[in-house]
Amino acid sequence: MITTNIRSLLRFSALLRVVLIIYGEWQDSHMEVRYTDVDYLVFSDAASLVASGQSPYQRTTYRYSPLLAFLLVPNSIIHHSWGKFLFSASDLLVGYFIHSILKLRKVPEDLCKYSVMVWLFNPFTFTIGTRGNCEPIVCAMILWIIICLMKGNVLQAAFWYGLVVHFRIYPIIYALPVILVLDPLFFQSGFKPKLLNWRLRQDKNAQSYSKMADQYGLWTPVKTIFAKERIVFALVSGAVFLSCTALFFYFYRWEFLHEALLYHLTRTDPRHNFSIYFYHIYLQHECEFSVVEKLISFLPQFVVQMVLIFRFGQDLPFCFFLQTVAFVAFNKVITAQYFVWFFCLLPLILPWTKMKLKWEGFICILVWMGAQTHWLLWGYLLEFKGKNVFLKLWLASLVFLAANTFILVMIIRRHNYSPVFEQLEAATLKNVVKLQ
Amino acid sequence: MGSREDVRLWLCRIVAIVMMVFAAVGIEVGRSETNSGFKKYLMTSYFEKYESLVDSNFQDFLGHVLHSGLCEVLPDNLRPVSKHSVLQRHLIGEGSHRHLSSSIRFDIDPKSIAQLPINYCEVLVVERLPAGVFADPFELQHLQQRGVFTDIAVFGDTNLELPSFRSNQSAVEIHMNVDPNIFQEKALEIKLQLPLHARYQPLDESGYSRIKFSDPDLFMRCCIKGKLQNQSCLFISTTDHAESKTEAAVWRIPSGIKAHSEIVSVVTFISAILSTLAIVWASIFCSDIKPGKSSKQS
Repeated sequence: MITTNIRSLLRFSALLRVVLIIYGEWQDSHMEVRYTDVDYLVFSDAASLVASGQSPYQRTTYRYSPLLAFLLVPNSIIHHSWGKFLFSASDLLVGYFIHSILKLRKVPEDLCKYSVMVWLFNPFTFTIGTRGNCEPIVCAMILWIIICLMKGNVLQAAFWYGLVVHFRIYPIIYALPVILVLDPLFFQSGFKPKLLNWRLRQDKNAQSYSKMADQYGLWTPVKTIFAKERIVFALVSGAVFLSCTALFFYFYRWEFLHEALLYHLTRTDPRHNFSIYFYHIYLQHECEFSVVEKLISFLPQFVVQMVLIFRFGQDLPFCFFLQTVAFVAFNKVITAQYFVWFFCLLPLILPWTKMKLKWEGFICILVWMGAQTHWLLWGYLLEFKGKNVFLKLWLASLVFLAANTFILVMIIRRHNYSPVFEQLEAATLKNVVKLQ
Repeated sequence: MGSREDVRLWLCRIVAIVMMVFAAVGIEVGRSETNSGFKKYLMTSYFEKYESLVDSNFQDFLGHVLHSGLCEVLPDNLRPVSKHSVLQRHLIGEGSHRHLSSSIRFDIDPKSIAQLPINYCEVLVVERLPAGVFADPFELQHLQQRGVFTDIAVFGDTNLELPSFRSNQSAVEIHMNVDPNIFQEKALEIKLQLPLHARYQPLDESGYSRIKFSDPDLFMRCCIKGKLQNQSCLFISTTDHAESKTEAAVWRIPSGIKAHSEIVSVVTFISAILSTLAIVWASIFCSDIKPGKSSKQS
């Protein structure tokens, strides 16, 4: 294996993405099947509407924040591939952030590199940015929030968190773990939080680790719920989210509120997708759903999220990863682009897993991809061959849920649980006073 | 490394702010539609009068279209186009995305045509789509840009995502230019291929819904020499409609089976519960964290 450093990896990945974007342009104009995602055309149309002073919501199926349309305005001015370059650049930024986070936690260089490669050379990843999907921007923001927290920049983290929840609603699931982690034991104003070293991951008797377990009883978060950092985070992120909402409501009124926010919360799309609920929704779509039914379908999601947060909240990237996989798996609608949400967090947990690629890792990958491919086969028969295979497709989505559950259980069992932050020593406080 | 990160971040922020300023200033880019008084599409006139696409309203509209003032009316003795017949009509492809292929012939009286000072003509085809299918306006626009049709537009309910029972019908109006030299012949044949997509159908016991396509409504509109564009047009309606020589096109679309309803709901929720239990069990019992109770430091 040639030794490469992170810069060459990024350069090579950048080159790969540029080539793919150019190829995509060629395929769009010469072949019947487009390389570019349909969503990208929606964003571009909305952006050109914005550029001529109109509302982006005049474009049907535009269901995103107006910010995205603003970002893509240069599509009409410079070149229509500007958006793709922007998304691919975010993609590379995610790789860079993964490297930063792992370095902050003192992970050895070669493990860092392999983890970064898991993101940069994942075929799913480089196609998603070059096809014009906006998810890499969201991933970059989430990773930046983690970096800010690790460096103690709570204000900045709160700002970006408010922004990312405005952009895409799903990061709201990260609110509780972040609040839990902003413990006064770890965060004191004036200096950076102390990060637990990667080398100590298997050392269960480490001083700092056991001290943490002692301090962290079940009632600790309740006692310190009104800690300064937590309040600051909640207020600032809430303020940013509300200001964005208010600003765009002022410009675009109810259309904005409905398309960008409410649609995602009440979405019941009966068309076939990976979710186990799709056939149930289709069979029931002629009658309204009762409140009880809606609650019952929300309950598994809620229970899983709560258990994961309270069990694993201190190991922030691990908690985020598990939450995201569970959130996607139990959601009423699952489309392939949601997978990027946890692909960007996967490299952050790999250095702590006891699983080797042979054979456990391999089996996990095979099971997950196999379940997906199995579903896609039935989906193809339904959509492109016109056969009634609804029941079999639904069974395939149950198999996919089982595969996701299997992966989650395997990863939980084989993970070296490792909190991100260490309790700040009383001695450190005295040192700070000296410095000042 | 830290300072480089900061520089990069500041650069990103500045770029983002510049972009937002750009958008806020509102640079005028984008195509502007020429807004002549000339009504390009027949269906625009229909929707000015009626709310939605209902068969009885549409028949009324057809009866009056020639005298609605949209165009000049031909004197009765002139019958340039005597009749039209649909030669062929079927669906190409499999699955939820197909093409509706039609082949139509117009019988022409060259003497009548020669008496009119015609510049060019176009055939107007109005396809009223049954409730279970829809046409994607953006796909059709793409085809128009590639020159397959002169003009094309979708009217009525164009929501691409709603299942069938919730949406009203839609109609596609297609214009195709006709070379005036053709009028020296006795017949004019046009071929159309319209891409269509199936909606999710209402539930059916057999597992399939059958969608039938009715014949399209056809007109010919000609522009008269010498006059301004927005005033001179002639409507030539093909009043005699020969019986269709082929069977109506039928589309068989899969639909959900109501009998599955209970078992699907029950099994779905049971699976969700089982998965939840598995994950909760793994989190609480199988991970290597110490239990949450605080104990005195040893």
